[in-house]
Amino acid sequence: MVTGTIAALQKTAADLLVKKTVDLVIGYGQSPLGDIVPLFIRKAEEAERLQWNRHCTYNLVRYLTDREVIGPAGVGPEDRKADAQSKDTAAGKVAVVVKGCDLKSLVVLQSESQVRRDRLTVIGLPCPGVTDKGGRLLAKCESCPPEAYNPREGLCDLVVGAPVDETGGRPVRDGSFQEIEEIDALEATERRELWDRYFSRCLRCYACRNVCPLCYCKECVFDQHDPRWVSPAAGVATNRAFHLIRAYHLAGRCVDCGECERACPVGIPLRRINRKVAKVVEESFHFQAGLDPEAKSPLVLFSSEDPEEFIE
Amino acid sequence: MSGNSKNGRKLKIVGFLCNWCSYAGADLAGVSRLQYPEEIRIIRVPCSGRINPLLVLKCFQEGADGVLVSGCHPGDCHYQDGNLYARRRMLLLRSLLTYFGIDERRFHMSWVSASEGKKWAETVRRLVEDVKAADAEAKEGIPVW
Repeated sequence: MVTGTIAALQKTAADLLVKKTVDLVIGYGQSPLGDIVPLFIRKAEEAERLQWNRHCTYNLVRYLTDREVIGPAGVGPEDRKADAQSKDTAAGKVAVVVKGCDLKSLVVLQSESQVRRDRLTVIGLPCPGVTDKGGRLLAKCESCPPEAYNPREGLCDLVVGAPVDETGGRPVRDGSFQEIEEIDALEATERRELWDRYFSRCLRCYACRNVCPLCYCKECVFDQHDPRWVSPAAGVATNRAFHLIRAYHLAGRCVDCGECERACPVGIPLRRINRKVAKVVEESFHFQAGLDPEAKSPLVLFSSEDPEEFIE
Repeated sequence: MSGNSKNGRKLKIVGFLCNWCSYAGADLAGVSRLQYPEEIRIIRVPCSGRINPLLVLKCFQEGADGVLVSGCHPGDCHYQDGNLYARRRMLLLRSLLTYFGIDERRFHMSWVSASEGKKWAETVRRLVEDVKAADAEAKEGIPVW
């Protein structure tokens, strides 16, 4: 990636902090071991630690709703207080670095009133696709539509770096759900076997939930004891219920940022569940998540035209 | 009209019925002395829009062989549009159940009005037949959930 972009990014971040536009910048940095990790910068002189390369896989939007990470004041709907109490205009305001795919999850947070956009500065980075440590393009990038290579205008406050026009080795996708259709085409018993094999590996570590930028509920349904909808004990039956509910809760919201699948320690293809839901939502309710900050979730809406072939 | 599973166990089927239409329809079937299979256990809820998909999943997890969700016909909802929310929710739930290889004959949804006692009896009959068929075709040693 162009070094000029990194320099420009560092300068942008330093400027935001110096001018007190924000008092926290969330970006990518390098760990002592050389890995790309999320980086939280509060001083302008630290901005030089910001990095940007093809290993910047994390979706940093995740941290915007995480008070433990970004501190007491933040960008949540309750942060009006912070505005009123402080003369410091930057207090609790945050800038975040996003790729095109991450931006979509921010759009969903906006549509659900989980971030106050006026307390947030969004720095978009055109993205040539990110890779795993072995240098292999992530599966989510292979199905990335070209219009998401560059952060969408109007949704970012700043865009750093030249627009990406090249596919960068990515196959140009037409938004089809081929891998889902392949599973749909199987016999019911084959699908059962396929998924049970995956679900039997699930440790119920909840990494998929914890890493998800859209799983922000203060009390998660899986942590509830009364009623307890799903036993916390790992087992193929309870795991199936867990994965069904997790995917269901993301219906019409999941933007396929792929973080859950990346975080899964046992390699469950979670995107194939999420994308199945996205397929149903698109085909039956004609809705795609992450495009419009004003949009309402399809499950809080209905249409008299909704399909009902399955109803007697 | 027995609804036993293939190993002779009595089938358990849960029906979530809205108070205003389907429950009244089932009641009408009762007072009209219409015969229908007794494997269904009815849970009355205020509206089909009240039926959280978690409830359906809980039934399956606790050993139900089949689940029915039944409400008012579109346009007849006591609360205007609760059933239309339910329609979206259950469509999505059903596609996920199917995707995970749960036999789709185990999950039914129906519109039954307060005057449709006959339709109610017919719906339950078909439901029990479907669940029985799904049970008969299920692979040995593979539980419902």
